[in-house]
Amino acid sequence: MPPDAMIRIAGLRVLYGAFAAVDGLDLDIRRGELFGLLGPNGAGKSTTIRVLIGQRKPSAGGVTIGGRDVVRDWANIKPTFGYVPDRENHFEEFTGRRNLEFFGQLYNVPRLRAAEVLKMVELDEAADLPVRGYSLGMRKKLLLARAILHEPQILYLDEPTANLDIHSAEVVHRILRERVKAGATIILTTHDMDEVEKICDRVGIMARGKLVALDSPLALKQQHTERKVDVIRDDGERFVYDMDTPAGRNDLAALVAAGRALRIRTREFDFHATFLKLTGLAFD
Amino acid sequence: MRWYILKALLTKEFSRHIANRGGIALAFLLLAMAVLLSVFTPGETTAAGTSMVGGVHHCFIEFDRPTPLVRHLQANVPPELKAQVRFRELRKPDDVDGVIAAETGTGSIQIRHVNEPGKRPAVQVSVWHPDSEPGALAPYEQWVWKESRRAFAIEAAKKMTDAKMPDTPAFDAENNWLVLESHKRFQEQVEAGRKADVGAPLVPDLTIDRRGLGGKVLDFRAAIATGMVVFALYFACVYLLPTLNCEERERGVLLAQALTPASPTELLAAKFVFYPVFGIGLAATLAAVYKPDVLSSLFFWLALFAVGGGFLGIGMTIAAWAKTQRAAFFGGMCYLLSVSMLLLICSLNGIPFLSYLAVEFHGPRILHAALSGTVQTAHWRHLAAALGLAVAWLFAAGWVFRRRGWQ
Repeated sequence: MPPDAMIRIAGLRVLYGAFAAVDGLDLDIRRGELFGLLGPNGAGKSTTIRVLIGQRKPSAGGVTIGGRDVVRDWANIKPTFGYVPDRENHFEEFTGRRNLEFFGQLYNVPRLRAAEVLKMVELDEAADLPVRGYSLGMRKKLLLARAILHEPQILYLDEPTANLDIHSAEVVHRILRERVKAGATIILTTHDMDEVEKICDRVGIMARGKLVALDSPLALKQQHTERKVDVIRDDGERFVYDMDTPAGRNDLAALVAAGRALRIRTREFDFHATFLKLTGLAFD
Repeated sequence: MRWYILKALLTKEFSRHIANRGGIALAFLLLAMAVLLSVFTPGETTAAGTSMVGGVHHCFIEFDRPTPLVRHLQANVPPELKAQVRFRELRKPDDVDGVIAAETGTGSIQIRHVNEPGKRPAVQVSVWHPDSEPGALAPYEQWVWKESRRAFAIEAAKKMTDAKMPDTPAFDAENNWLVLESHKRFQEQVEAGRKADVGAPLVPDLTIDRRGLGGKVLDFRAAIATGMVVFALYFACVYLLPTLNCEERERGVLLAQALTPASPTELLAAKFVFYPVFGIGLAATLAAVYKPDVLSSLFFWLALFAVGGGFLGIGMTIAAWAKTQRAAFFGGMCYLLSVSMLLLICSLNGIPFLSYLAVEFHGPRILHAALSGTVQTAHWRHLAAALGLAVAWLFAAGWVFRRRGWQ
């Protein structure tokens, strides 16, 4: 186990009957890391999160958080993390403030902390309205406010920016970066590739219960960027030259020297295409 | 068990009920009913006004004209019948055979005075009883016969001041005088015809001894109060507890609480405390409004805890079993209907022992006994049974909870 590993998932296997939702997952998340977990629906992301929050026991393998087993030591682990579920779960009849104050009491944090986090997620003006009147985005932000109420060392976020407008998503990103700067470890699942590229330190891509890629967004970019050049010739024909082969490089050089290249464009890294390719969902 | 967590959880339960005002409204409605039941107490007797005498809650004394007999009857209604007896003048005094459509639970005694020339004056008494219940008006009839006899004697005495009047019958509380008078007259007739050579009297003396078996007449006011007390406990423990918990589970709020430092024991304890305390508090308030003295009765509190404990076990079992709020609601309703049907079938068919397994069989009996102040040895047995069933239900709830949990 690396010395800076906060979360260690070793040989994790979770079965629903005969179906393996997570199938032999090995993953270390470093302390102070913002880790993005990607994968198509049914890849095993949510099941992994459920194991991490102690709501699903592993069928095999195990998970340790800060060296403590998540099943055996759950009572001690749970005050250390905050969780933003994909489905909002507030007391509808309470105001936003009352919701946070209640959870604040359970975490034994001062009452003023509720006001602080409401301001952080820009819900201070709607704090005294019943949650039943909140929009989906406001509810999502309230979930984040609840998750960071006790300044946890670990944050699990299940699609935290779904249904948020651009500004609110930026607010969430800012808060997450601040939490990481303060030393928190964050695991977020998302379908937003731009978000992953923008804020995650590392990315794990899951498919069919297994980890199919694990690296930083930059390294993934380098690994999976296609070194190809699209050229439109003076006769209107379109050609693709592969820069990884000598023939490709020579042919392109000759074309440019002859002045027959009307338009030249290098191919950019495409996270979507990479994701689809890695998860085996790309169309041939 | 940390107090600050328990306090937060209990405050949350309380705040949720304050925010959802339906439950509060129902509780106030129950209280208002208890106040009305307590305030509108005609006379001093708890049974007055709502009780039925002989299956009839009102008996109308209808008369063609206010004769001395009618006036005597009006002046001599016994206290136990005062709330049930109503006097009114006949609208069509001569229509004896007309069809009278009376309200359910009522009867009438019509008094007509017949004075035809050349005939003896007569009083015609028509007794209109509920169909197929000829004895339903017996207590009213006995009063009318007794007071008529007294009224006629008084009237006759007024007109024959010097004459010797027949002895006044030995009017008794059990109304045996009619039979005894009849027997006495028969004895006298036989004695008058007895020949001197027949030594001993031919007709023996008659004495009647009438005793109660010890059972009490159902006190309807106490029964209504009992119904409200039982309902308060059922409402809190078998309806509110499962539905609100399943609502929390369905919305995922229970999961959010489970992920906080609050332990499952603390979450459970808060619910375990709040709903029974709310139910027992409401039930005790209703009982106190109806009859304040009952709060000093140990039996009453034991009965409340037994029934409350049983309902808590039932509610927790439903809450642990049902996944959704709707399922919890239907679970509560199905339970209520099944038990009601079971008790009804057992009662109608004389099936022994089976109904002993229901908290609802023992609960109303012990609470009614406490509220009407008629606790007997048998009620302590019912209390023991209710406590046993409460323990069994709480164990069942624990077992289901261990298997299924809150999630």
